[in-house]
Amino acid sequence: MSDQLMENIKQMIIDSLRIEGMSPADIETDAPLFGEGLGLDSIDALQLVVAMEKDFGAVVPDAATGTKVFRSVRSMAEYISENGK
Amino acid sequence: MNCFMFPGQPLMVSQAFPDDPDFDAISELTRERAFLDLSALSWTKGTPTDSVKLQVYGVAMSLWHARKLGREKVRPAIVAGHSMGIYPALALCGCVSEEDILELTYRAGSCMARMGEKREYALGCVTGLTLEPLMAIAESNGVHLANYNTSRHFLLSGEKGDIANAAAEALENGAFTANTFPCDAPLHTPLMEEVATPLREIFSGYRYAEPLIPIMNHIDQDVLSASEIPDFLIRELCEPVYWEQTYRALHAAGATRFFEVGAGDSLKKYNRWIQHEMA
Repeated sequence: MSDQLMENIKQMIIDSLRIEGMSPADIETDAPLFGEGLGLDSIDALQLVVAMEKDFGAVVPDAATGTKVFRSVRSMAEYISENGK
Repeated sequence: MNCFMFPGQPLMVSQAFPDDPDFDAISELTRERAFLDLSALSWTKGTPTDSVKLQVYGVAMSLWHARKLGREKVRPAIVAGHSMGIYPALALCGCVSEEDILELTYRAGSCMARMGEKREYALGCVTGLTLEPLMAIAESNGVHLANYNTSRHFLLSGEKGDIANAAAEALENGAFTANTFPCDAPLHTPLMEEVATPLREIFSGYRYAEPLIPIMNHIDQDVLSASEIPDFLIRELCEPVYWEQTYRALHAAGATRFFEVGAGDSLKKYNRWIQHEMA
């Protein structure tokens, strides 16, 4: 996975969740996005599902898949590489 | 134009308690009038349910947050409440005092808790499905749509077993998440009529002043007058919360900056979703 893809995913997270005062450099590639990481919840998850499909053409069909995909930026990148258009 | 939005009952205690004089003052009022020790989250009198505890906690945190914004010189031009967020909204707008609204919250919550002594109730948060299929699932399982938060975020309310069945069916039909939470009463459904009479006695026992700031209600997006408040407090427990319509109406009324005044940030996230669809 390219550094550019990681950067684009981090920017997508910031834009779609409208996180103020944060840049891609502030998000660690392997840090958890939910819980003690960025502290995201199910409302955020659905927002990320829509953004991932729009920006990368990668469909997350259900919460079980989402739990794996949204573990970290790296896992999102892996999923996009395998399922994106 | 600033809008203060007051969230409803939190589903859990989610934030550390602030260390400032306003929180100390709200804690003292909460202890005196609602019998809850906020810092320990324990009752000083009786043992009401966990739902009542969350209701009192939620109102107390909203009152503290409103004071904090006031100290920062942030003032609203319009106010709205989601569900029981109407209670601290009434206090901010000068309709009732902070201590009275804490007492009202405790008394109303304790009254509603009696429903839970006869049956087990629950709430179901469903994300991902649109209204039409979820409505069909609700009807087939005998539960009610209690919150219309966005085009894909809804809350179901009803008996515990039925809510569990509806949540499972929602997941089978493509919901992204469907989480259930226990509660004392089937909030925002016609089933609440069962306790309407004692609730009416509680709500009509307070004197309500005219709001100093317009309060938009979350059912039909009208601005509340003082004389309408007691009836609205009953009505809002028996009817769904229409948050998406309320946000759109606030936006149409000129609100440009939205402050979530209370525990959590669900309303901001619902607004973000609605804004995304409005763009």
